[in-house]
Amino acid sequence: MSLDIPDDRRYIESHEWAKDEDGHVRIGISDFAQDELGDIVFVELPDVGEEIIADEPFGVIESIKAVSDLYAPLGGSVTAINEELFDRPELVNQEPYEGGWMLEIDPSDPDALDALMSASEYEGQLA
Amino acid sequence: MSSPDTEDGSPYAPHTEAETEAMLDAIGASDVEELFDIPSAVAFDDTFDIPARSEAEITHEVRSILDRNASVTCLLGRGHYDHFIPAIVDHIADRSEFLTSYTQYQPEASQGYLQALFEYQSLLVELTGLGVANCSLYDAASALGEAATFAARLRHTDGNRVLVPELLHPGRRSTLENYCAGPGIEVATYPSDDGTADVDALEALVDDDTLMIYAESPTIRGTLEPASRALGELADDHDAAFCLGSDPYALSILETPHEVGADIVVGDAGVLGLPTSFGMGLGLFATREEYVRQTPGRLVGVSEDLEGTRAFSLTLVTREQHIRRERATSNICTNQAWVALRAAMHAAWLGPTGLVDAATSYVERPRELAERLDAIDGVSAPVHDRAHFREFTWRVDDDASKVANALLEHGYAVHALDDDTLQVCVTDQPNAAIDGFVHAVEEVIT
Amino acid sequence: MKIHEQARWYRRDDDLTEPLLVEKDSTTVDVSVDGLDDSLTRDELTLPNIAEPEVAAHYTRLSQMTFGIESGPYPLGSCTMKYNPKFTERLAADPGAHVHPDLPDEACQGILEIMYHLQRYLARICGMDRVSLQPPAGAAGEFAGILICRAFHADNGEDGQRTEVIVPASAHGTNFASAAMGGYEVVTVPSNEEGRVDLEALEAALGPETAALMLTNPNTLGVIERDIEEIASLVHEAGGLLYYDGANLNALLGRARPGDMGFDITHYNVHKTFATPHGGGGPGAGPVGVTDRLADYLPDPVVTVDDDETYRRVTPERSIGKVHGFEGNWLVLLKAFAYIARLGDDGLLDASAKAVLNANYLAERVGYPIPYGPVQHEFVASASGQDAGEVARAMLDYGVHPPTTKWPELVDEALMTEPTEVETKESLDHLADAFNAVRDLDDDELAERPKRTSVRKIDQVAAARSPVLNWQSIETPKS
Repeated sequence: MSLDIPDDRRYIESHEWAKDEDGHVRIGISDFAQDELGDIVFVELPDVGEEIIADEPFGVIESIKAVSDLYAPLGGSVTAINEELFDRPELVNQEPYEGGWMLEIDPSDPDALDALMSASEYEGQLA
Repeated sequence: MSSPDTEDGSPYAPHTEAETEAMLDAIGASDVEELFDIPSAVAFDDTFDIPARSEAEITHEVRSILDRNASVTCLLGRGHYDHFIPAIVDHIADRSEFLTSYTQYQPEASQGYLQALFEYQSLLVELTGLGVANCSLYDAASALGEAATFAARLRHTDGNRVLVPELLHPGRRSTLENYCAGPGIEVATYPSDDGTADVDALEALVDDDTLMIYAESPTIRGTLEPASRALGELADDHDAAFCLGSDPYALSILETPHEVGADIVVGDAGVLGLPTSFGMGLGLFATREEYVRQTPGRLVGVSEDLEGTRAFSLTLVTREQHIRRERATSNICTNQAWVALRAAMHAAWLGPTGLVDAATSYVERPRELAERLDAIDGVSAPVHDRAHFREFTWRVDDDASKVANALLEHGYAVHALDDDTLQVCVTDQPNAAIDGFVHAVEEVIT
Repeated sequence: MKIHEQARWYRRDDDLTEPLLVEKDSTTVDVSVDGLDDSLTRDELTLPNIAEPEVAAHYTRLSQMTFGIESGPYPLGSCTMKYNPKFTERLAADPGAHVHPDLPDEACQGILEIMYHLQRYLARICGMDRVSLQPPAGAAGEFAGILICRAFHADNGEDGQRTEVIVPASAHGTNFASAAMGGYEVVTVPSNEEGRVDLEALEAALGPETAALMLTNPNTLGVIERDIEEIASLVHEAGGLLYYDGANLNALLGRARPGDMGFDITHYNVHKTFATPHGGGGPGAGPVGVTDRLADYLPDPVVTVDDDETYRRVTPERSIGKVHGFEGNWLVLLKAFAYIARLGDDGLLDASAKAVLNANYLAERVGYPIPYGPVQHEFVASASGQDAGEVARAMLDYGVHPPTTKWPELVDEALMTEPTEVETKESLDHLADAFNAVRDLDDDELAERPKRTSVRKIDQVAAARSPVLNWQSIETPKS
């Protein structure tokens, strides 16, 4: 099975992605991560206004068989969360890069995004 | 060392010698001892000096030892109660499928038990008014311990101190402190006023470091808490959780914990279904629906099978130790499922009328007894000017322990609390037993 | 191949579905209690109101949709699903066993005497010096053991320093959770290629911050930790304590004792080793035993005997206090005492002999590969290529309970199998046939199973996504 790794965003080792959206950064998990977790049943996210710290957990994702922390690719304050995931956590399985996004932040260091792994570097890590 | 003959071995290992031989042949071993991989340096070649007894012998032995317990009318309470249990509970709960099965990890093979536990959860939801009840913890004390660590995991709570009544049962207090030691939660007490919470004193103690306020209704002295609502508001004002201790009988007549603002209800649900058993319990744990993913213990949920038939299974299992390990909501694995089954059965047998009638009698009969005791010279009852449930404290001019010992010699067991205070509990004892007790008090006191 | 048609007991049959109690009746009664202020009481109570014959029928039907020990082989790995002798139930129902815990010691000598004897039996069986029966389950016993460990290090002035508990990666989940509940950081050590504790990794993990190593032996793969003496001395040299998880004690009965292996603390799962019923998840009992140097820390109470044969509940000098409000699950302890007394030395020795014989025989007959051995009382087969969960469900169609699945993770698609001493050769043959029949099913057939149970494969994803945990939350209950 081939895994989707779009090259319009950056990745970190723990399989979260980060994508620039007009100065804000949107965060989610990769196709590989959702596939490993299996059927996702619950996503716990911080509230809007909370600060998240780079490389620290910002939430929890729960599948039928496992629970994992979600790690922040970048630090910053949360400007939006994807509330649709509370009712339809399966969106993370179905559209990990689009409808399954998790939160948006106002990054404290916008340049940090470019320091993260590119799609090809991330793909190399998975191989 | 060789394997003993079957007749000397376990009566529950049914192998014939021929079968053992055939199995060893199939394995390619000549003796069972060959199969063991125990390093010789740690092998045990002594005996335990435990003689085997026949079923008849051990039955006789245990019964004759148990006969050494004093035969008394039990008027003891304080967290463990002697309720009448209908015969149907023993007979049906003892069915082997209920008694001997394992936890329902294979739901297709345990739909019946899962449904019974689902019905137990539903019973507690009805009684507490809260959205979620688990399918058991060990007892009231461990449920209180779990409540404290649970409160610390809730996002809306703040603080690190749990406030408990100064009259809290010592076993509950000790257990709570053990649960709180790991996460470093502080346990502090608040004073009581005439047997229930001293709300003013509590208000002075509550601050932003308060994690949880715990109160009981009925309390360990049998008093019903008149200020539950105020306690709930106090907790709410300080981003603390409000945990109420109660039990299914009391909850069938009391205002629901949900109504008074409780976030958590704990207690001993074993007042239903569980006979007096030297303190065994059934940990009741209920909370608000929004906190379900932080809840300790097993939960049964309903969904469908692949043909669309309603089906039950244990759910939200990722909270539990076998999946989440050191980050689990609790370490609990084995719980009190069979006691929960018995409680559900007992409640089904009583129905709403039976539950309310029984609970009403646990208000009326102690009140009548208190009046009768109060009429005796040298006795004043009840000590507290409160409504009581099941039990109450009473004062004597004499030394309380002396009175309790003398009553024990007359065949009645009551608690002596301090120099001049005793406590007595009325559940389902026949009226004649209560009459006899009053008579014994009259004799002992004069 | 011989497959008995034993599955009929729970064959799918529309007559075997059973409505919820609330679907039979829902009655609201008014609540008003003389002398209680209205502000104290609720207005009404709504619950099912049905007559005793219907209650009996309801629960009898529910029992028929539940697989018990006598329904067929029950080889759940790590669970020790033994036959539960009936006579112990009769003893537990004896009125003499039904006593209030606040009776003074003088008035409950019978109970205390049995508790005292059980403490001694358990101490001897594991080579411990003192035992407290207070913890109400295995995990509570672990928690008590961890608290003892903490109190011991605190008394040595090392509480702040010894912050870690080491647990093998393949250990029971409760070990991790109990250590964490006691305030410890959990450090895991991997297994070596033989499935045993990797000594080099253990040495690297041990240090001045080590409080304890928690271990079960035989381990969860069913193989003996052969290096146990060396493990014990490494842990002790580092100043840590060695904790024995009693889940697998059935393999050692009468043949080896944790105390002789160097363990300092042991918990017992009496609902496993000593045949007290599992009750569909509990109650169990988890007594905790220790060596002399830790005896003062045991949970409150322990039972002692005076010279005049009076039995007393005593609080050990530096006791950790309680992990249960009263004295634990007494009726379960009584059953364990009766079981041990019924078996005696020879019976206990025979139990471990036949448990290990049965596991080895079944291992020989099962077609799935078993990567680790020599196996003792249980083995972990690999269903690699199939989904272990589907294998388990399919086995139900052959009238057997499946093994524990997908754990330990060291084995791909694990089938953790513990037949216990109570199965006959015939029953093991039937169980092996069931394993092997399922092994031959293709993916499509597997996904269809089970077909003969009261419900078929359950949608557990839906159950977890939108939890419905009580009848009040079912949207359209049948009227």
